[in-house]
Amino acid sequence: MLSTITQLFDNDYDEEGFRTCSVTGLEIHRSAENHVKLFGLTAVVALVVGGSFAITVALTRWEFIGLIGEADYYRHLSMHAWNILVFWMVFMEIAILYVGGAMVLGRRLPLTKLAKAGWITMVAGALGVNYFIWTTSGAEEAPLLTAYVPLNIPTGFFASAIVFLLGATIAALPFFATIWKEKRWGTRETLPLVTFGAFVTSIIAVQAILGGITAFSYGLIWKLGIIETINSGVYRTLFWTIGHGSQQINLLAMITVWYFLTHVVGGAVVVSEKVSRSAFILYLFFINLGAAHHLMVDPGLGVGWKLFNTSYAFYGAAFASMVHAFAIPAGLEAGRRQRGLGGGLFGWLTSAPWRNPVFSATIFSIILFGFVGGITGVLMGQLQLNMTWHNTFATVGHFHGTVALGTTLAFMGLVFFVIQTMFRRDFLSGTLALLVPYFYAGAMGIATLAMIYLGILYGVPRRTSSVVREIPGTDFSISAAAPLMSLFGVFAVLAILGGVLFVLVAVGSLLFGDRLDEGDDAGLRPDGGLQPDGGEPVHAVDMRGTFGMCLIFMATFVVLYVLNWFLLVQLWSIGA
Amino acid sequence: MSGPFDEPEGNWWDEPVNRREATWLGIAGVWSLAIFGWMSGFTRFGDQNPVGETYAVEPAEYRQTVQEYKEEAEQTDEGHIIPPGDSVYIGGQRFNWDGLPVVLEAGREYDIHMGAYDVQHGFSIRPEHSLSQQINLQILPDTEWVVPMTFEDSGTYHVICNEFCGRGHNGMHGTLYVEEP
Repeated sequence: MLSTITQLFDNDYDEEGFRTCSVTGLEIHRSAENHVKLFGLTAVVALVVGGSFAITVALTRWEFIGLIGEADYYRHLSMHAWNILVFWMVFMEIAILYVGGAMVLGRRLPLTKLAKAGWITMVAGALGVNYFIWTTSGAEEAPLLTAYVPLNIPTGFFASAIVFLLGATIAALPFFATIWKEKRWGTRETLPLVTFGAFVTSIIAVQAILGGITAFSYGLIWKLGIIETINSGVYRTLFWTIGHGSQQINLLAMITVWYFLTHVVGGAVVVSEKVSRSAFILYLFFINLGAAHHLMVDPGLGVGWKLFNTSYAFYGAAFASMVHAFAIPAGLEAGRRQRGLGGGLFGWLTSAPWRNPVFSATIFSIILFGFVGGITGVLMGQLQLNMTWHNTFATVGHFHGTVALGTTLAFMGLVFFVIQTMFRRDFLSGTLALLVPYFYAGAMGIATLAMIYLGILYGVPRRTSSVVREIPGTDFSISAAAPLMSLFGVFAVLAILGGVLFVLVAVGSLLFGDRLDEGDDAGLRPDGGLQPDGGEPVHAVDMRGTFGMCLIFMATFVVLYVLNWFLLVQLWSIGA
Repeated sequence: MSGPFDEPEGNWWDEPVNRREATWLGIAGVWSLAIFGWMSGFTRFGDQNPVGETYAVEPAEYRQTVQEYKEEAEQTDEGHIIPPGDSVYIGGQRFNWDGLPVVLEAGREYDIHMGAYDVQHGFSIRPEHSLSQQINLQILPDTEWVVPMTFEDSGTYHVICNEFCGRGHNGMHGTLYVEEP
């Protein structure tokens, strides 16, 4: 067993520790590759833990099954939230920083001791968070994701969360050192787009992490009795800098992965460096304001403050997302048209490598993130519409659209890619690997839509284990939602099975997959190689397919916007 | 020709942008400003805004205020509170809503005062006859929030807590009865 694991960290490197990737053509140093593997594997472990709790959580919310009682439900929900929303994501994101930095730039990973120290600290923090959630008892309550004070949350939870965030900061330092070295001694005048995206991601991450350390420290010193009272509104404002900020890290990392994977497996080009980079810059300034979404129906904050922040400053960041929504598929369209692959409006897309799970996972991630996660995010972030979304099951639908569909699908694609290109293992079963994105995206997509409808049309709340069959102590219940809740239950279970399939294929291939020979690209390289040779300049290539898709997206956005407002104005008169 | 791994060639900033991409930037930009304008404008001309006066208040102090209000109020035979004036006080506590059930007149504007005695709660309200008409407001233990509301339709309105407030949160429920005057 030990030798199998050691072998996972071995490849044929030259004397200086470099090798050339047969798929991307990148010069990869052992130090970068092994740390990417370390953080990536840890992320998959967190996914397995968090995913296991998806089973108990979903089968409880599907009240027809009602698997566990209320007291245990909150613990299970907390485990699900922290392991998926935080640990699976952040471990993957550190790996992505090392890919976007050292690997793309063809450098060694500097400060590897710090990378390892960061990993150990993160693991210690993550274990602590899991331990203190699981052992919550007596007068103390499970934290869920938010640890909303003055709820009596275990002291050790706050301490462990701080340790984890410190660990993530330490683990990011080698990335910053890579960028510094490149700018100081490197030959490039401009960073490649993927590195630039990773760099902006890391700055967003630092903002979020500092906010998180502040919030959890505030909770910790209150729990320790150093301060006597704690202000719940102040905590909420601090908490959401990490609470939503962490999810903005996911967003940026995911978009960076989109540029990366559409290029290496689909043959995408960058249609405009200027436009794509400007969109990242907009994120840098505005995306973290989106944390205010969570405070729209809070007392104590002014209307002007809410309007400015919830709109990410006049929708500067939503605009940036719509820029990427064009630029990424357009890159694919232009790259494939330049190679003469597929004519007509959508021929470039239909002829794409749909049998490659890395490709299909990436494309499903882009489409579902945009149509489900993105649109709902803007809708629920409108000051008034937020009244109908806040703390309902629709909110849970929104972040399953972004995280469980968008980011998780992109990261699944990336894990498959890393298995083939870095671990150099073939899939244990190509057919099963091919099925994963279709199965998971389909089932999770329907489960997510069901959550959104349950929240908006029936007012089903989040964070409860019993509301459709009965609300304890009263005759009232939201029983009308029972059929839709059953639909949700069935598809949530199927989505979890899709996740299980992913883990089986990934881990099975790592342990038992055939080793790929040197130079074998496992069929990953796009038709016609990575770079189209010549042809017309990229800006002159026809992008009407992408334009058409974007118009469909906009039409959907407008229709959903109008419907949500229509529902809102049916309500009684509220507010001064 | 550059991919996302390569250093962009030459003066990349001055490279022309595809005309369809430029058109899309225009559409997306106009839409962004339009939805901001609508949201902002609706706070002036709209009837549904999560806006009201807020006051910093100690939980014990707020509990006292609700207590005094209840003493002043009359009660129906079933023990439902009839507010003495236009103000209605509701206090969230683990695991019930103090001040509910209450009987209100349809079409009359009330100042709904909301606060909490212990931890954070969620004020999630809907009429029994139309579940899709529902709104949700966050309730904090250190703040009193006064949100005016006018219930046009008579009926039974159910309030459930939709912020996790501890084991027992599931059963936190209260009722508003809105009757024709």
